[in-house]
Amino acid sequence: MALRLTVQVQLVLQALLRDPASEMYGLELSEETGLQPGTAYPILLRLEDEGWVTSRWEDIDPRVEKRPARRYYHLTAGGAVQASAALAGARRPKGTALRRLAGGGGIA
Amino acid sequence: MMPGIDPRWDARKRRRVRVRLGVLIFFFVFTASAALLSGTRLHAWQWIPWILGITAMAVFTAISMAASGYRPGGRRRGSGPSGRGRDNDGPAGAAPHQWHMLVMASLLMPRSAGRRWLAEAESLLSEVATARRGVTIRSYLLSAPRLVVMMWAREVLRRARLGPRRPG
Repeated sequence: MALRLTVQVQLVLQALLRDPASEMYGLELSEETGLQPGTAYPILLRLEDEGWVTSRWEDIDPRVEKRPARRYYHLTAGGAVQASAALAGARRPKGTALRRLAGGGGIA
Repeated sequence: MMPGIDPRWDARKRRRVRVRLGVLIFFFVFTASAALLSGTRLHAWQWIPWILGITAMAVFTAISMAASGYRPGGRRRGSGPSGRGRDNDGPAGAAPHQWHMLVMASLLMPRSAGRRWLAEAESLLSEVATARRGVTIRSYLLSAPRLVVMMWAREVLRRARLGPRRPG
């Protein structure tokens, strides 16, 4: 099934494309996009299904770090190309839509 | 490596949650059907299925909540500094009943997907500012029903791709 480029999906892709080589974890993505984590999670899953994004658990000892491991996401090589192309062809979200999302973290 | 999650994941508990949910759905459908079939003008005897259905739903909800340790406005069994179930209360600062709802939602998903969802939520909640934890959990809970459907659809497709399991 083709991925629908909703405003929220575009925000996630833009955040990941800012530095395609680096990885981002849920909270970082949520702060970057203004989306609630519960909203960003299904989007990341769909991007993974499409093969645009891969993820991995951080390899740490939670007792030493005193926090649970994070799940890191990053764009695949093909995903970065496809995401750039998709965003270039997508309609730009209106400023009001972005402000509403940043305030309420609407669901995709 | 997926973070370790406590024994809440055992198969018996998953089955119990699904059976309870099934029974609740059955009584809901039963009550709704009784309402639809009987129309708006009800004779005295036509109220019986309504009353039975609603009572059964209330009883099952109460039993499910009691069995899972939920106490409205109170603490769950084994929680608190001296409790046995500190691990079940989720990240520090998260309301135990909200965390428990997250656990219940994760039990409705396919096993590996539910584990991953809960582990990610736990990881994120441990880092998010205390003031935002309630909102964050709510956002996870709001997206949970859609995720349950999405995850099961993925699981069905995955199993269809793999084909039937061979014995041995």
